Amino acid sequence: MALLEVENLSMGYHTQKGYLHAVEDVSFSLEEGKSLGFVGESGCGKTTLGMALMRLLPPNGVIREGRMLFDGADLLQKSDEEMREIRWQKIAMIFQAAMNALNPVHRVHEQIAEAILTHNASLDKKEAFEQVEELFQLVGIPRDRMRDYPHQYSGGMKQRAIIAMALACKPRLIIADEPTTALDVIVQDQILKEIMSLQKEFGISMIFISHDISIVADVCHDIGIMYAGKLVEHGSREEVFSNPAHPYTKALLSSYPTLTGEKSRLMPIPGETPNLIHPPSGCRFRDRCPAAKAACKTGEAVWFETSPRHKTLCYQCGADCR
Amino acid sequence: MSLEKSHKRHLKKFPWMDRLRGGWTIYKRNLLGRIGLSLLVMFALMAICSFIPPLIDPMYQPMTGVDPEITKSTGPSLRHWLGTDFMGRDILSQLLAGARVAFLVGVSAAFMSIVLGTAIGMVAGYMGRLVDTLLMRLADMIMVMPTMLVVLMLAALFGQLTIWTIVLIIALFRWPGVSRVIRAQTLSLKHRPFIEAARVAGASHTRIIFRHIMPNVLPLSFLYMTFRVTSAIIIEAALAFLGFGDPSTVSWGMMLQWVWKTGHMFKAPYWLLPPGICISLITLAFYMLGRAMDEVLDPRLRKEAGTE
Amino acid sequence: MELWKYIGRRLIQIAIIFFVIITVLFLLFRLAPGDPVSRMVDPDMTPEDAEHLISQLGLDKPLGMQYLYYLKNFFTGNFGESFHYGQPVIEIIWARLPNTILLFTTAIILAALVGVFLGKIASWHKGKTTDTLMTIGALVTHTVFLPWLGLILIWVFAYKMDWFPITGMLSEEVWLDPDAGIFARLLDVLHHMVLPLTTLFLVHFGSYLLIMRSSMLETLKEDYIVTGRAKGLSEKVIRNHHAAPNAALPVVTAVGLSLAFSINGGALTETVFTWPGIGRELVMSVSQNDYPLAQACFLLIAIVVLISNLVVDTLYAYLDPRIRY
Repeated sequence: MALLEVENLSMGYHTQKGYLHAVEDVSFSLEEGKSLGFVGESGCGKTTLGMALMRLLPPNGVIREGRMLFDGADLLQKSDEEMREIRWQKIAMIFQAAMNALNPVHRVHEQIAEAILTHNASLDKKEAFEQVEELFQLVGIPRDRMRDYPHQYSGGMKQRAIIAMALACKPRLIIADEPTTALDVIVQDQILKEIMSLQKEFGISMIFISHDISIVADVCHDIGIMYAGKLVEHGSREEVFSNPAHPYTKALLSSYPTLTGEKSRLMPIPGETPNLIHPPSGCRFRDRCPAAKAACKTGEAVWFETSPRHKTLCYQCGADCR
Repeated sequence: MSLEKSHKRHLKKFPWMDRLRGGWTIYKRNLLGRIGLSLLVMFALMAICSFIPPLIDPMYQPMTGVDPEITKSTGPSLRHWLGTDFMGRDILSQLLAGARVAFLVGVSAAFMSIVLGTAIGMVAGYMGRLVDTLLMRLADMIMVMPTMLVVLMLAALFGQLTIWTIVLIIALFRWPGVSRVIRAQTLSLKHRPFIEAARVAGASHTRIIFRHIMPNVLPLSFLYMTFRVTSAIIIEAALAFLGFGDPSTVSWGMMLQWVWKTGHMFKAPYWLLPPGICISLITLAFYMLGRAMDEVLDPRLRKEAGTE
Repeated sequence: MELWKYIGRRLIQIAIIFFVIITVLFLLFRLAPGDPVSRMVDPDMTPEDAEHLISQLGLDKPLGMQYLYYLKNFFTGNFGESFHYGQPVIEIIWARLPNTILLFTTAIILAALVGVFLGKIASWHKGKTTDTLMTIGALVTHTVFLPWLGLILIWVFAYKMDWFPITGMLSEEVWLDPDAGIFARLLDVLHHMVLPLTTLFLVHFGSYLLIMRSSMLETLKEDYIVTGRAKGLSEKVIRNHHAAPNAALPVVTAVGLSLAFSINGGALTETVFTWPGIGRELVMSVSQNDYPLAQACFLLIAIVVLISNLVVDTLYAYLDPRIRY
């Protein structure tokens, strides 16, 4: 049985202008020890999905339907008390370093120790700090920087600290939300390698959220492409990368320059993302899709399987999609 | 937004018109703002009505009115709705006159400090470097001083102060707050394309400041005026209360001084309560107004539900 | 270490500002209409004493020299003699200073602590009755006219209910009684302090409450709050341990910014309650044309304001590690 199974999950936000359909009817599963990456432009719902998995949506956010089965139990049925125990201990999150993820008035090691002590009351402070030391060693932060405040850390160090914090309770699943955005390329590379080795070493399952498909392809076994709140393509990275089926995926891939391979023109994707408060009928990508047909406006979405592990959500099935 | 639209925005020199309209809509929704405005309207009416009593009968003159039949402090009656003070003068007409003085003092002091603060803020922001540093240091020093006590010292040296001197001194001590905000705004405007364009066209600094920066900064000034008004009224009231007000002006603070100094504090609630309530309420009104203005000025404070 | 450097820098700034104030005061005294000599020398003095004082204060010398004398006198604590009391000014203000500090600091600190505490609670219950009541209460007390509030409190609690004394800081019987111990004397002062303290406290805590409340609401939107929730912390821990320390910082800033206004309030409170402090002394000396005393009181108040600003700024630097490190 998979560690995480999400079925028909839909969620959104109540705004002054109406209900915003942030995520619509998303289903996927994640095996133990594997990593799944979600790629999409901003506003596609990937961050919302990540937050929802830990039930951390803001007060105006609501999960309308679906099931989130973690280790067989539906997280949506859990009480607040139960969720608090699950959070960090079973499922942890790696935030963007660029965010204010660490409290500026408390020392870094205290904040990590706090995570440890919350879920393991039998430890005392000294033991918790010892564990923090080990974690720091693991992620490569010098010991003498442990007692510093967050603002004294560089971007890369902050990211490492956040990773260390996520590992603190040895969770089974880590959700990494844009962990390398806003870092310079060299540091980005280091962090990614770090994440990959940690994942292998501890066998942690991972959900990796990014707008950059090249990073996700590097790090994850499987990739899910999201557009306007819907999951439009899902498969192993090799298949999605070398054999993209959905027009959006194809457009995404061709908008990135490559060092190897033949030189081809970069194709930006024309148009804008649709309004999610009043989403368009039918396929949400139809206004920007080069292969759009009349049926895309009214047709029913069907999952088309290019291979057992590779499926695409497109209104036109069959050979036309390729 | 298409390229054309954003281009037009840059050339538009008076975007504040739209902001003003938008601001009014937001303002109308705010409960505090509505209450504040209603209170202020009430006081304004009081101020206007202050001219009426002396016209009815000279004994209702707040300062010099003498009731032939009453020469001491009496409670409310048909003749004198709020009673009389220790000299037999009508308390209600004093109260109405006080409203007039409060507005006068508040608005003039606020206005003067706005003029000063805007001018200094613009110059400091636009000139930058030494001028800026000097002016802002001056502003810092002035902000530290307790205004009321400074006026006291000046009263000691220059004798009894008139209401206008008091207003002027208050304005001289309230401009730093305004200048900071205006300076920040000027700094952000300084690098806008239309300013660059004016500079390239050969406009002198003065011309740029007054013809180009000022119109964009002025609405902000006026909005901030609401904050200045309260403190001016309170300072004048406090000074009058201590006995340093203008003896020829009937203000609420002066009324409190009379109640206090003539020992009627405990005996005449009809005299003690109204002026204090008025000062407190008008302060409350302007405070609420200021908070509503806050929402207009700072979009982050608006009650819009967020989106992810 | 960083903190000491910061304090050092601020002390220099304060010294400069104070210097400017002294100079301005000096010029005002000399240049204001009327005879400057009559401002420093009691007209009721005998001619010989007057001569002596004039030469001591350097009033017969040119302006430049006078300025130096002025500074020298300031630093040696020679402020002349009070016209009204006939005593050296320095003795009078020295006796008054502790009273002001006692009343003022207690009131402001209490107002800040209570304001922060209640503001935090108000933000928890945003929109509900508790919050509405607290917000209205804060608004009302914050905008009430301070001297008038004082008078009302005296009227109700001292005059009508006779719970507290009407004026002053001490009861003569207690203090003149040789058998009365320290404790009885302390209690007496505290008894007298209740009403003025309440007045000063009420007028200030409201604004701190409102600031803390909106600060908390802002802070709760921060990313590290989400981190806290993700870590599985309880809401209580998040609010008290993570949000409140950050939210309290703007309150500290607000205390600093409003110090000038608070000092005004302090002087008014002292006057209404006949509390023998520096503020009241200033007011009285001005109305009695006791120039030496008035000048000294004013300078002392200026020092108090500047030092208070320094204390508040240092406190902020201490509480916010981003400044210290």
